[in-house]
Amino acid sequence: MYKLKTCQGGLTKGLTMSTTQAMIKSRQTEKEINGIRTQVVCTEFSDHIFVVLTQYGKIGTLVLVTPDSKSSDVSTPMFSTKVLMGKDEPLTHVCAKNLATPVSQEAGNRPVLLGLALKDSSIEAVKLMRDLIKSCQVW
Amino acid sequence: MDVAGDGGAHDTISVHNFSEKVCEQLVHFHVMRLSGGFFLWVGAAPTLANLAVSMSSKFDAMPLSMLVMGDQSETAPNSLAQRLAKKTKKQVFVSYNLPVVNSNLALQVEDRIKKEMETHPQHF
Repeated sequence: MYKLKTCQGGLTKGLTMSTTQAMIKSRQTEKEINGIRTQVVCTEFSDHIFVVLTQYGKIGTLVLVTPDSKSSDVSTPMFSTKVLMGKDEPLTHVCAKNLATPVSQEAGNRPVLLGLALKDSSIEAVKLMRDLIKSCQVW
Repeated sequence: MDVAGDGGAHDTISVHNFSEKVCEQLVHFHVMRLSGGFFLWVGAAPTLANLAVSMSSKFDAMPLSMLVMGDQSETAPNSLAQRLAKKTKKQVFVSYNLPVVNSNLALQVEDRIKKEMETHPQHF
């Protein structure tokens, strides 16, 4: 009855309004960081990059990381972080900014929606997570 | 609905895409299965315009739902998330990126999702 089209192919970058391929491109990976299983799923949307970084298998805290509109003026753009759901404490903002800034910059200053569920937020772990996200690049 | 998996921490996140022509419009679906819940994106263009979160509460028969991103006047993402949370008893994230003018479309989209849940429960 239903004709299922399971599409794995990505779409071309840009704002193509009518693609017959899978609309949404995503990549995932996992790695043990300090002995803790860490999963990453990156999904590309035309107006956002969605990154799930989890050590619980859940989305956890949702943080939106947005580049400043005036960022083109200066060499190092500024980013603002907003916790949409979950633990709104300074460390969440620090981790989110640290992890999402390179993603946003590489994705043409698109805002990044980040799902964070971490057991280990140490600086060493966060650095390794940054590399892990980078290895899952969809943008 | 009987969905396999107890949502243990060692589940691997799975991603599933499907699409369907609904009301003469090609609608794409993207599901990410998480531990104890799932993320569902519905749309015709690859935008992430809104995000609703819903989950069951022991204090109310209807699951709680909230729009964490997007236009607060849009009710479609919230109501879809709420109904899917009610059906699955899970935490549900929904991003609904279709025009809201056609309520028939929303109903058919929801039916299509429920159909997929029956045929491919392992993805939700």
